[in-house]
Amino acid sequence: MFPETVQCLKTAAPLFCQAAFLKDLRRLSAHGGASCLQARRHFGVSRCLTAKVPPPPKPREKVEIPGLEMITYSERMHYVPGLSKPVFPSWEREYKDPGHYRSPPLQEMPLHKEKPCYVYNQRTNALEGVHQALWLTKTKLISGLPPQMLSLAENPANQIPDQNERVQNAIRHARFWDTTEERPGIDKYSNTLLFNLLHLCATLQSSHPAIGRRILAEKYSLAATWKRGEDLFQIRGQNGLLYNSMDPLPEVSGKQEVADTTDHILEDFYPVSPTIDLQEVHVYNEEVNCSGFRGDYPYPHAHTLYFIGGADTHCKLQPEQFRAKMVMFTFGNALARAHKLYGTQPQRVLDRPITLQAVGTNGRIFHFMVFQLNTTDLSGDDGIKNQVWLDKDVELYEFAKVRPLIKKKQVMVPAGLAGYKPETFSKFLALYLHGAV
Amino acid sequence: MMAVSCLTRALRSLTLSQPALLSSQAVAQTKLGAQAPCSLGQCRGFLTTAPLEQNRKHWKQSEKYTIKPIGMKKTGGRDYSGRIRTHGIGGGHKQKYRCIDFQRLRYEADKESQPFEEKVVEVRYDPCRSADIALLAGGKRKRWIIATENMQAGDIIKTSGVIGRMAVSANEGDAYPLGALPVGTLVNNLEIQPGKGSEYIRAAGTSGVLLRKVNGTAIVQLPSKQQVQVLETCIVTVGRVSNIDHNKRIIGKAGRNRWLGRRPSSGLWQRKGGWAGRKIKPLPPMKSFINLPAISAK
Repeated sequence: MFPETVQCLKTAAPLFCQAAFLKDLRRLSAHGGASCLQARRHFGVSRCLTAKVPPPPKPREKVEIPGLEMITYSERMHYVPGLSKPVFPSWEREYKDPGHYRSPPLQEMPLHKEKPCYVYNQRTNALEGVHQALWLTKTKLISGLPPQMLSLAENPANQIPDQNERVQNAIRHARFWDTTEERPGIDKYSNTLLFNLLHLCATLQSSHPAIGRRILAEKYSLAATWKRGEDLFQIRGQNGLLYNSMDPLPEVSGKQEVADTTDHILEDFYPVSPTIDLQEVHVYNEEVNCSGFRGDYPYPHAHTLYFIGGADTHCKLQPEQFRAKMVMFTFGNALARAHKLYGTQPQRVLDRPITLQAVGTNGRIFHFMVFQLNTTDLSGDDGIKNQVWLDKDVELYEFAKVRPLIKKKQVMVPAGLAGYKPETFSKFLALYLHGAV
Repeated sequence: MMAVSCLTRALRSLTLSQPALLSSQAVAQTKLGAQAPCSLGQCRGFLTTAPLEQNRKHWKQSEKYTIKPIGMKKTGGRDYSGRIRTHGIGGGHKQKYRCIDFQRLRYEADKESQPFEEKVVEVRYDPCRSADIALLAGGKRKRWIIATENMQAGDIIKTSGVIGRMAVSANEGDAYPLGALPVGTLVNNLEIQPGKGSEYIRAAGTSGVLLRKVNGTAIVQLPSKQQVQVLETCIVTVGRVSNIDHNKRIIGKAGRNRWLGRRPSSGLWQRKGGWAGRKIKPLPPMKSFINLPAISAK
């Protein structure tokens, strides 16, 4: 039996196994191996699978001869060798079905423009940090908070009774007590700490009634557009917590200082372009300016922005980039307000400069910022600049350890809250009370 | 016997009908027939080896350049068939691959043909090579390159494709065509065909020497003392590659070699053949990578 079968199978087998081999290879190589990364058993016994995969055959070029009518097998309703493949007209739905919608390619979208727009969103990690933000917003940096804030902070009438004790309890609640696990994560404790501190500041409403004319808002989407040089910039995104008020903030620097900013030269960071790390889009809406709220919102004036560092798990920003984000979004809010009040045409000097504040924290270190928008004419590098007062890397406390740090049997850092600094909270309170005193 | 003859008759009829279906692929089939011998007599039962696609570099195939580190798949010295082709490779710490841009003279989209400058943002260790890598930022893009010896964060690096009449006094880390550099400069990251990207002199601490320039070509001595003749428009960077003390480090223990992904060699004593031992022989002739039209292709 065997010689006969072997002979016949040998003649049959090459074609046999090659057909199946091809099929197998096609199956293996068709998806580029994506589906075949799982090791599986191969029960086929007739062939060896460890050969080199042949490259995929190039499909034959279709030659279009105009005037020649191709006879297709469409009437026969099945494949007939020798007849050409029918080409059917593409079908499109007459009605709009959002469940089955294919977006057109980028070039055919209605809002497509040749000139790109550079968008700063809440996950942008600017390479040059604060310098890049200052160049983009045409701002002059002054380190340290303005003197009015510092005097506000020191005024004993503006302090909460048992201030230090209550703030330390707030920190302990955020860092130790707010969880059933050993310690809460940074996204949780930074959030809890901020809300605890805001709550403490709000207890002063009995002595400062103007606090009642303010409200907190979260998850609002900001949009602002401006031109800088020849490029169009936009800032979009949900940045953080916004503290809104019915009355605008008073201006921090006088007219003379504003006029003096004309002499300041913006720092250039050649060879890096200022548009680095910004998202370049060709499909955008020009002149989109939205403060996030409708026209008849009772609290139209933005007072303070609160940024939480650990909030976005996908985007961990270094302190420099975090401060840049603060500057950009404060500027965005101010610009949206200015466009609403004075129109979208660039104004060289605003009659009433728009002042905004920002506080950024990662749960332990705070950055305080006061921004004053003096001009919306941002195309050139000269002229009046905006101003920003930045107080960076201010610690609220040094250590908040769940377990003490012991080196060589000596307690270096005890468990619990250590190294509390009361000045930081007084600055926080001063920024909160600015405009309400 | 009856059953067997029926079976053979059925199979014979199958062979007659098969060619009609697969007529267009007959050529491919004959080729495959040579490559895929059916082990009919000794077939095993079932094959438990993993499929072919395991050792293809699918993780390295994206066309878009990114500076984000990409997860890498180790081969363990195995080739496409799954067998060991190179012994002694395997294990070791997991590594992420950072896409290095070896073509130094890569212009940005709209700024063609002008010498440009870039700023070094950081210089860091790369697990995939002996040299350190540097992150350059220029214009709107960031890219990784192989760092040279004294490169630090904050330096400004120039890249130029222009060959002037006078030789340029190049700073370390700058990239120029060979024709623009003075004879005797230490160079690294040599490309042998202009525009292809550098393939030579990339290891830690290595440097080549520009020996002489001969009408339109330049002769460079590689670290192995071999000399190559390349076109003078090929871009090189000036200086030695970073991490110069790489060859002086002491591994210290077998475990460190295992962390680097090197498995121990076989302990079997094997008689060494003619390949072993010190050889003193003259330098090989100079290799030329210029395609002169007068010399016909072999």
